[in-house]
Amino acid sequence: MSEETLCNRQPIQTEESLKRLLKDSGGAQYYKEMKSLDVDQDLLWSTIQKTCKSRIRTWLEICAHCGMCAESCFLYLINDRDPTQVPAYKIQSTLGEIIKRKGRVDNEFMHMAMQTAWAKCTCCNRCGLYCPNGIDMGVMMSYLRGLLYAQGFVPWELKIGAGMHRVYNAQMDVTNEDFVETCEWMAEEYEEDYVGLHFPVDKENADILYTINAREVKHYPEDLAEAAILFHIAGEDWTITSKGWEQTSLAMFAGDWEACKIQVESVYDAMERLKPKRMIGTECGHAHRATVVEGPYWAGRENGLAPVKCMHYVEWVAEALREGKLVIDPDKRIKEPVTLQDSCNYVRNHGLKKITREIMSYMVAPGYFIDMSPNEEHNYCCGGGGGFNGIGLYRKERNQALITKRDQILKTGAKLVIAPCHNCWDAIRDLEEEYKIGIRWSFLKPLLIKMVKVPEHMQPKD
Amino acid sequence: MQDILTGPMIWLSLCVFVFGMLARIVLYIRGLDWKLDRVAYKAHPKAGMKGAARSIIYWLLPFATTSWRKQPVMTVAFFVFHLGAILVPLFLLAHNMILKDMVFLSSPITLNMCVADLLSWGVIVSGIVLILRRISLPEVRILTTTNDYFILFLALAPFVTGLLARYQVGEYHFWYTMHILFGELFLLLAPFTKLSHIALFFMSRAQLGMDFGIKRGGMKQGVSMAW
Amino acid sequence: MFKKILFATSATPAGDYAARVAFELANRFDAHVSIFHVLGVPSRGFSQTVVDVRTGENVVLDDDYKSWVKEEIQTYYENQLKDHKASDVLIEVGFPHREILRYAREKKPDLIVLGGSTDENDDSVYKRHIAGSTIQRVTKSAPCPVLIVSRPAASFWGGISSIVFGTDFSPASDVSFQYANKIASSIEDGELHMFHAVDISNIHSSLAMSQDKIEETLRLARNKIRSKYVSQLEGFKKYSIDVWEGLPYVEIVKYAREKQADLIIMSHQAKDVDDDNARLGSNMEQVIMRATCPVISINRHTSGLVE
Repeated sequence: MSEETLCNRQPIQTEESLKRLLKDSGGAQYYKEMKSLDVDQDLLWSTIQKTCKSRIRTWLEICAHCGMCAESCFLYLINDRDPTQVPAYKIQSTLGEIIKRKGRVDNEFMHMAMQTAWAKCTCCNRCGLYCPNGIDMGVMMSYLRGLLYAQGFVPWELKIGAGMHRVYNAQMDVTNEDFVETCEWMAEEYEEDYVGLHFPVDKENADILYTINAREVKHYPEDLAEAAILFHIAGEDWTITSKGWEQTSLAMFAGDWEACKIQVESVYDAMERLKPKRMIGTECGHAHRATVVEGPYWAGRENGLAPVKCMHYVEWVAEALREGKLVIDPDKRIKEPVTLQDSCNYVRNHGLKKITREIMSYMVAPGYFIDMSPNEEHNYCCGGGGGFNGIGLYRKERNQALITKRDQILKTGAKLVIAPCHNCWDAIRDLEEEYKIGIRWSFLKPLLIKMVKVPEHMQPKD
Repeated sequence: MQDILTGPMIWLSLCVFVFGMLARIVLYIRGLDWKLDRVAYKAHPKAGMKGAARSIIYWLLPFATTSWRKQPVMTVAFFVFHLGAILVPLFLLAHNMILKDMVFLSSPITLNMCVADLLSWGVIVSGIVLILRRISLPEVRILTTTNDYFILFLALAPFVTGLLARYQVGEYHFWYTMHILFGELFLLLAPFTKLSHIALFFMSRAQLGMDFGIKRGGMKQGVSMAW
Repeated sequence: MFKKILFATSATPAGDYAARVAFELANRFDAHVSIFHVLGVPSRGFSQTVVDVRTGENVVLDDDYKSWVKEEIQTYYENQLKDHKASDVLIEVGFPHREILRYAREKKPDLIVLGGSTDENDDSVYKRHIAGSTIQRVTKSAPCPVLIVSRPAASFWGGISSIVFGTDFSPASDVSFQYANKIASSIEDGELHMFHAVDISNIHSSLAMSQDKIEETLRLARNKIRSKYVSQLEGFKKYSIDVWEGLPYVEIVKYAREKQADLIIMSHQAKDVDDDNARLGSNMEQVIMRATCPVISINRHTSGLVE
C-alpha cells in the first residue's frame, strides 16, 4: 500500500497525516481511493481466528432466525420495516458471511459491510434485549467495525476522529494548554457572578476528578464554566487534570481498539497520578461508556473497573440534590411539559435509568414531567449514536433515523427535552432543525444553574 | 433393522446427544475470554450469577419479558412448542419404560395419556404456526434458510410419526419404526446443528446476563435489567 | 486611545452602519482595524461541517472555503479597506460571541465594534441554540469597551463632538467615565454631558416616591456627579450635568436626543444572560436598540485607562 494514499490500512498517527486527511474536503479523494482498496484476506481471517471466540461464534450459530429482533430496531421501524434492516440479517450478511467465507471477501463486500456497520446500526444494543437467545447484535456490529477499521474501510470522519485521539488524546485538535487556558478564561469570565470561582488544576487527593468532552473547550466553554459553578456551589473538593482530561472516544465509534486503549489509559494515568476519590465525567453518553464501562478492558484491567470509582455526571447531580449540596428553589422548577432522553450508553448499558428520573423529581414541578414511551432501558436511540451524527456520507440515513425520536417527543407533548448527553443533544438539535416541531432542548447544567440557590458567600457583593 | 434401531442405536444416539451437548457446553465456556468479550466474569461472581439467573429465568417464563409481550402469537407458539418438545420425550410413559429396561432408571413422574396427547398436538400446531411465520412474515422470511426448515422437520418428525403410531393410522409398525428413526436422528444431529441451542440457549443467556450483571449496570445499587 | 479595533461583522447589510463607524473611528484615532467574520456554526458533532451563517447551508470546512469567504469579505468592504491601509480580514468558525471573546482575550483589542442583530426572524442559526444574542454576550464579558451601532440612524454622519456619559455610580461607571473624559477632551469641539437616571419605574416598589423625595434624590445625584467626576476633568470646560427621573433607558435616549449626542457611553450591569429576559433586555440593551447614535458599553471586566 502506497504511503501517499489517504485511504489505507494505516491508522493516522501524526499531526501531518491528520492534516492531510482533513484537507481532503468531505473525504472526496479518500472515498475515491477506497473503491480500489484491497482486502487483506489473510489478515482478516487471522484476526477473526484470534479474536472471535465462543460468544460471537455461538451467537452467529444459534441465531434461530426467528426475526424477533426486527421490531426492536428503530432503524428497521423507521425504514418502513425493510427486511434488510432486521438486525439478525444485518449482522449475518456481514460478519456472519465473512466468517462463513473465512475472510475471502472483496472490496465491494467490504463497502456493503461498512454501510451496514455505520449507516444501519448505531450500536444502541436494544436488539440484545429482545432476542430470546440473548444475542447482542450491537456488540457484534461493534466487533465488525473493528475488523473494517483494520482493513481501512471506515468513514472519513471517524478515521480522522481515531487519528485525533492518537495524536491529541482528544477527539479534536485541542491541546492540554488549550484546555487549561480555556478553564482559566471561563473562571475569569464568571468569577464576578460567582465569587471565588476557580478551576483547581492537578490537585492531588481531591474528592472529584472532573473529565470532559473536548468540544466543550472548542465550542461550548460555557459548559465548563457551568460545571465549575455547580461544583463550587455544592462545595465539592474537585479538580481538573492538565493531562488525560478527555473522556470521549471517537476511536470507539471507529473500531480502532488500539486508539481506544491509548485514550482511556491517558485518563487512567491521570487517576493514578492525582489519586482522586472518584472521577466524574461531563454529560456525555459514549464518553462514559468508553472510559468507564468498556475502557477497563481495553486497558487490561482484570476486574473490569477503572483505577478509581467513576460516576456519570447524572449520578453526581442526583447525589448532590439528594444530599442537599445543591438545593433547588421550588419556585424556579420547570413548569412546562418536559421530557427526558435516555442515553443508550449509560441507561440501557449502565443502569442509570432511575437516577435521571430522580433528578427530574427535583427539577420539575409535579405534573410537568412526561416520560417517553418506551422509556428507560427500552427507550430508542436518539438517532445519532455510534458516530452517526458526524458522518457526512450517511447524513440522509441519519436524518431518517431522527424520526423515531421526533415522534416519541411529539407523543409526549413536551416543549422541552432534557438530554444529558452530547450526542443525544446534537441529534435532538438536528431533529428540530430538520423537522421543526417547536421544541427546545438542554443539558442539565444550564437548567440547574438557573434554579439552584447560590450560597451567600458566593453571591457578588454589589 | 429394528433390532439395530432399538438396540445399539438408542445407546449411540443418546450418548452422542448427552456427550455432544456436554462437549458444546465445555467448549463454549472454554472459549469465553474476559478480555475479548469485555466482561470480567471471574471478578464479580455474585453479580455475574445474579445477572445470569435473571437472564435465564425471565426468558423461560411466557410474557415475562418485554420482548415476549410484544410478540404474543410467537410467544404462545414458542412456549407450547417447547413445552411439548421437552416434556413429552422426557416424561412419556412409553419412553420411560424403555429407559427402565436399558439403564434400570427412569423418571418417577410420567405424563398421563391425555396430557401427553395434548402436548403432542400442541407441538404439531405450534410447529405449523412457526412454519407459517417463516413463510409469511418478511422479517422472518429474509432470515430463513433451508436449514431452518430442516431443523423444524427434525424436531417435528418424531412427533408426527409418534402420533401416527399412537393413533394407529395406517401400518403401526411402519410409523413406530419411523418414529424411532427420527427420534434417533434428532438426538444424533442435535449437537451439530442449531438444535444445540438446547444447551447453548442457557450458555448464551447466562453470558449476556453476566455481561449486564457485571459490566452494563447490574452492579449499580438497586438496579437490574428489566428484561 | 483606540489603537486596535476589532470590527466583528456578518458581512451583511445589517452591519454596514457599524462598518462606517468602525472605519471612521479608525481614521480619527489612527487605529488598525481587524474585520472579524465568524463564518459558520459547527453542525455535525465532531465532523468538519459547519452551517454557513450567510447562506444557512451545510458546508465542509477547508482552507479553500475559508479563503473564498475571506475574499468575499474583502470585496464587500473593498472601499473601506482601500482607504484605510492598516487593516486585515480574519475568518473564524464557531459561535460568534465565543470566537469574538476568544480573540479579544488573546489579542487584546482596544475596542470591539458590533452591528445590530443579523436576523430579525427566529430562524437564525445562532438564535436556535444560544441564550442571548451576540451583542448581549459580548457586552457582558468583553475585556474592553464594546461599541454597538444597532440602527442606521445610529451611525454618525459628521464628526463626533457631543458625548453623553450615563452613570449609575458603579465601579464600571468609573471606568466608563475615564473613557468618556478621554474621548471628549481629545476631539475637536468635544462636549461631555454627564447624566444619571433616577429609576422610579420599579414595579416592585409598593410606594411611589413622593415628589419631594424625587427632587431630593435628583439633587443628591447631581452632587454626586459633581464630586465624583468633575474633579477628574482637569480643566476640561465643556461639560454639563443632568439628572432626570423616569424609566432609565427612556430618559437616557431622550437626553441623548436633546443633547444631539454623537456617542453614548455607559456601563453594563446585567449579571445574567437569561432566556426569559433575553428578549426584554436590560437597560443597556434597550438604550442600544433605541438610541440615535452609537453606544459604547463598558463592563466590569474592562480595566481603566492607563495614563
